[in-house]
Amino acid sequence: MGLRVEHIDKSFAELHVITDLSMEVREGSLFGFLGPNGAGKTTTMRMILDILRPDSGRITWNGQDVSNVPRHNWGYLPEERGLYPKVEVEEQLLFLARLHGLSKSAARAHLDEWTQRFQVTEYRKKKVEELSKGNQQKIQFLATILHDPLILIMDEPFSGLDPINATILKEAFEEMHRRGKTIIFSTHQLEQVEELCQDVVIINKGQTIVQGSVREVKRQHGRNVARLKLDNDAEARWLEELPGVQVTKRRQDYIEMQIRANLNPNLIVEEALRRGGVISRFELTEPSLTDIFIEHVSEAPHPGVPATLSA
Amino acid sequence: MSKKSGAVLEREPPLREQSALTISRGGAAHQHTLRNIGLIAGYEFRKRVRQRSFIIVTIIMLVLVVLGACAPTAIQYFTATSSSQTKMVVVNNAGPIAGMNDAALSRFIGTALNGTATPATGTNTSGNPPYSIRIAPAGSSSSSLQKQVKDGALSILLVLDRAPNGDMHFTYYTNTSNSSLSEDPHLARVQAFAGQLNVLDKASRLGLTPTQTASLFAQPAFSAVNTGQNSRSVADTVTGYILAYVGILLIFMSIYLYGYGVATGVAEEKGSRIMEILVNAATPFQLMVGKIVGIGAAGLTQMAGFVVVGIGALLLQAPLKALLLGSSAGGLNLDVTGASVTLLLLLLVYFLLGFLLYATLFAAVGALVKRQEAVQNVVQPVIWFFMVGYLVSFIGISSPDAAWVKVISYIPFWTPTTMLMRIGTGAVAWWEIALTIALMLVAIFLCAVISARIYRYGVLMYGQKPGLRQLVKVVRGA
Repeated sequence: MGLRVEHIDKSFAELHVITDLSMEVREGSLFGFLGPNGAGKTTTMRMILDILRPDSGRITWNGQDVSNVPRHNWGYLPEERGLYPKVEVEEQLLFLARLHGLSKSAARAHLDEWTQRFQVTEYRKKKVEELSKGNQQKIQFLATILHDPLILIMDEPFSGLDPINATILKEAFEEMHRRGKTIIFSTHQLEQVEELCQDVVIINKGQTIVQGSVREVKRQHGRNVARLKLDNDAEARWLEELPGVQVTKRRQDYIEMQIRANLNPNLIVEEALRRGGVISRFELTEPSLTDIFIEHVSEAPHPGVPATLSA
Repeated sequence: MSKKSGAVLEREPPLREQSALTISRGGAAHQHTLRNIGLIAGYEFRKRVRQRSFIIVTIIMLVLVVLGACAPTAIQYFTATSSSQTKMVVVNNAGPIAGMNDAALSRFIGTALNGTATPATGTNTSGNPPYSIRIAPAGSSSSSLQKQVKDGALSILLVLDRAPNGDMHFTYYTNTSNSSLSEDPHLARVQAFAGQLNVLDKASRLGLTPTQTASLFAQPAFSAVNTGQNSRSVADTVTGYILAYVGILLIFMSIYLYGYGVATGVAEEKGSRIMEILVNAATPFQLMVGKIVGIGAAGLTQMAGFVVVGIGALLLQAPLKALLLGSSAGGLNLDVTGASVTLLLLLLVYFLLGFLLYATLFAAVGALVKRQEAVQNVVQPVIWFFMVGYLVSFIGISSPDAAWVKVISYIPFWTPTTMLMRIGTGAVAWWEIALTIALMLVAIFLCAVISARIYRYGVLMYGQKPGLRQLVKVVRGA
């Protein structure tokens, strides 16, 4: 079954922060939790973790209210990273693992395994403040998973990581996924979502905007994306007059545009040829999540674009 | 429709939102309350005991304690071995005085000036009597001896003459840097025994025998009876005062140090954001109690260390004195009697209770600060509040049974220091001790509940300091 968030509301004084938010996370899935800053992601995560309680609605894991689910099932990587700066890595991690419910010997075994995997064995006896930022992030991640939780909730886990460490983290994600963990994470790097996630939700201003599998979300967007490059006509201003075509990006290597779903993309090629253009590139792609995200979240919809559907 | 900017809200919610950031209560972590508290306390204890500052302070304090205990002995040792011995020469031109020849006279003066305590025999006696007396033969040249006094080779020259009517006449020569002779300490002592000599001499010339003369000087029988309740020995009273003083000081220091430590510890966890993970695993109550217990245990260990080392050092003084001075007489001897043991026990009890009570306050205060640097500001009011009891315990020493002192000693926030003072210096009934302990336990419980609520409220709040009304709402409503 998985995690079910059903119609939760949360207000602080008179300010409605979360309004009738619902989402569903299948057990064992890699779930992307997206939304602009201030949309309510952290608040929702805290409610899932039973750190805060919603004013109404309920959150359940496999049918059980989350306040009854034992703490060792949850792993939390908060947006604001935090560890004891002046305490040794090993001591902290063991403490946190045991606090989450692990026995001393199990905690030690897990620590050995994961410090090796993440190549941080040599830092075990060092104080956290002595490590580089990348290594600190790794330790932070270890603190999240060491007690072998069922559900991982991570707030922007990739922020601040260089490409090498980001790759290590991605591999760890995939390992967790293989082990059947449910992973919910938020990020602003939507390319990663496209790469890793099966399901996504986009929330804004405390409400669900879009939800579903990545493919569904893209398909629902209702538009295709085309890219055109003409060698002899860099501007191609005539594109803007084509009905059903909306130029969205002008780059050196191509011009990107969105076309209405019912428009045959060949029309563009025909028009380009009619005007004597030399086509060096033409492709049809799916809309990127970034575009979908921006469009859903910013209040100015592109003119000529049909109204979006929400889940 | 107006175009909203990309809605980059501040990370911290506005002030209105903060009221609902109170962490939920109950929840799955509750089942593990004892285990979690034990884990947190143990972690906190180990963390604190290994801190460099802790170790350094402990070592410094231990050294101070040992030095303090040895100080009286050291002072005695140094004054005894000082070579500044007062050399006195007596020229007796008065003939026998009260039947004493020169040798007896020398003994008499020696006893009068140096006291009856004789330095122990043995090869390693290093104590010289303060005065060294030599009787010069009668008729010795006064002028040459006076020159010796002027040159500093001799401290005092005393010349005894007899007037034509038989009365004794004393002339005292000295060379002193004091502005007037009346400030010379030796003069007073010499005048004292000169007076005695004079009476002895006159008595013998009047015809009294030495025995009759001695009976003249004997002290009358004088017994003093204290009709008060406490029939304490002098040693007990002195011990009581000293232990009370030391105990009050220790309590003040430790509550300041460790209470401060609780507040900064909480603020640090907030500041380093590890609080976010901690509240996922354990309840705020467990976090708060664990921290207090852990730090309290570290403080108690340190205190116990001081007390043990202090007692050991004090017990060492007697053999140490015997070694250095040849006798363990004189100076301060603290005996470990039954009464002082009770006092020490009560010291530990009141310290513990006082720490627990104030620790809950410090924890609440630490949970409300925004940055670690702000801790010293919010901690001050609590310290001042505690100081009231501290000051009262010192002011009240002169009148420990006064009504206002008693009333203050019942107020749990001021009980530890005031009660300790009362027990050390006066009589306190057993029921009073029991009552104050019970009151403190109740106060600790109440404060823990209130602090737990404030802790739950403040620990995830990184905004500004909350208003008083907000706090009251939290405490009442949560």
